Amino acid sequence: MSEDFSQELLHQLALPWLTSQRPGHRFNIFTDTGDFYRIEYGDIVILNNVPYLVRHNAKEGRFGLDDEVKFWVKRAIDLKTGKTKVIKLVFYEKFLARVGGIEFECFRSPRKEARILNLVGDHANFMHGFSVPDDKGNIVRIIDLIYGKTLADHVRDTASGMDHETYFYRHFPEILENFIECVEAIRFLHEHGEKHGDVRRDHILADRDTGRCRWIDFDYNFRHRENMYGYDMFGLGNVFMYLVGRGDVLIADIKKANVSAVSQLSDEDMNIVFNNRVANLKKIYPHIPESLNRILMHFSRGANIFYDNTIQLLDDLREFRSDFFREARRNVK
Amino acid sequence: MKHDINRNILIAADESDNSKRAVQYVANLLGGVKGFKVTVLHVIREPEEDFFPAEAEKEKWYQDYGRKADLMLEEYRRMLVDAGFDSEDVSTRSTVRYCPSMAECILAERDNLEYGTLVVGRKGLTHKEEFLFGSISGKIVRTARNCTIWVVE
Repeated sequence: MSEDFSQELLHQLALPWLTSQRPGHRFNIFTDTGDFYRIEYGDIVILNNVPYLVRHNAKEGRFGLDDEVKFWVKRAIDLKTGKTKVIKLVFYEKFLARVGGIEFECFRSPRKEARILNLVGDHANFMHGFSVPDDKGNIVRIIDLIYGKTLADHVRDTASGMDHETYFYRHFPEILENFIECVEAIRFLHEHGEKHGDVRRDHILADRDTGRCRWIDFDYNFRHRENMYGYDMFGLGNVFMYLVGRGDVLIADIKKANVSAVSQLSDEDMNIVFNNRVANLKKIYPHIPESLNRILMHFSRGANIFYDNTIQLLDDLREFRSDFFREARRNVK
Repeated sequence: MKHDINRNILIAADESDNSKRAVQYVANLLGGVKGFKVTVLHVIREPEEDFFPAEAEKEKWYQDYGRKADLMLEEYRRMLVDAGFDSEDVSTRSTVRYCPSMAECILAERDNLEYGTLVVGRKGLTHKEEFLFGSISGKIVRTARNCTIWVVE
């Protein structure tokens, strides 16, 4: 049973966040969140006897497009605690995703995300939250807001105006540590029979408060074929290539920059799925150690063997790390 | 010393052309030869619970898929009988399984029923498809024990 939240009480609770309310303003109150397009700025959503004041819809940029509004994801204030939350409403969609010319069936699942939130609890490398049904049984996820940049933005800003070698010895050791934690976190999911489903660099946030990297957005799923975790592994490879390369190393960019190594690159040196990205980064940055480059080459078109699981990838990352940290200390200018 | 040869053959099949080729291969090779028993197996991969927004959709999916699988298996059974197998030597089986790995599910069926030979079709995946999603026949070849595997292209 819902507590009775009168308009007067809601006005009192929302006062710190709504400074200019016209006289006689009445809140729209939602306990059924099914039609999320109707829920707008300044509305109240009541879930499990907690009123949330809706602020704005979330946005997400992808594939170079401008930020796309996600109407089912609302930034909101928990009016009982005053904390900012991200509220994810139920949005089912099924579609054919296309990666590198290969189509596969994807779907968005609130149940999956709710289950993973419950599984990860307060694990430091994931977003935190819980799920609650609305009056119609829609599974709404209430997520703690993480303050911080995406890992991709963090790397871009850190490396700005810096040559690769300086970035590599000065900043990459810490980034590698964070990445290893991220892979361990994905291993945790896999060990519990869950995929992340959408592993990409802007789904890792560098938490300003804790300094840890945290995975977000677990609601994607897909009908897997033989290797249930292959697509997550592919995502991890792409993220790692980005971190090592200080960004995507695109064939067009290195041709434009007239880098002499371009003539030495062959098809086998490219990313196995994205043909315009260089995987064999040692050919571009010769200071990259062979043991690190070997890891990258597992994600190249020339790969003879792939990583089947995170354990294999972690073994290689840790082995590389043990030598690299010593070398990085020697090479810091 | 003469070894007993297990003459039970399991064909793991789905609705794909490569599966049909695998069935046809066994039909052409062994049709009319006495002493072999063939089972055509179709493992229905139980969709994850997340796949269906509502229970009713799940029920409908199982009904529709089950009907389709029955028709497919009947077609394969007929192909074998038409090629000369005695109808009592050909059986079909479909089973719904939770399959993180389809290869492991198929091999578990083989282990349970003690078939000497497992036949699968090969899809001919590209390098990147194999990387992204894995290969059922590839994994079967790598991990099968105590049986013979025929991979039909």
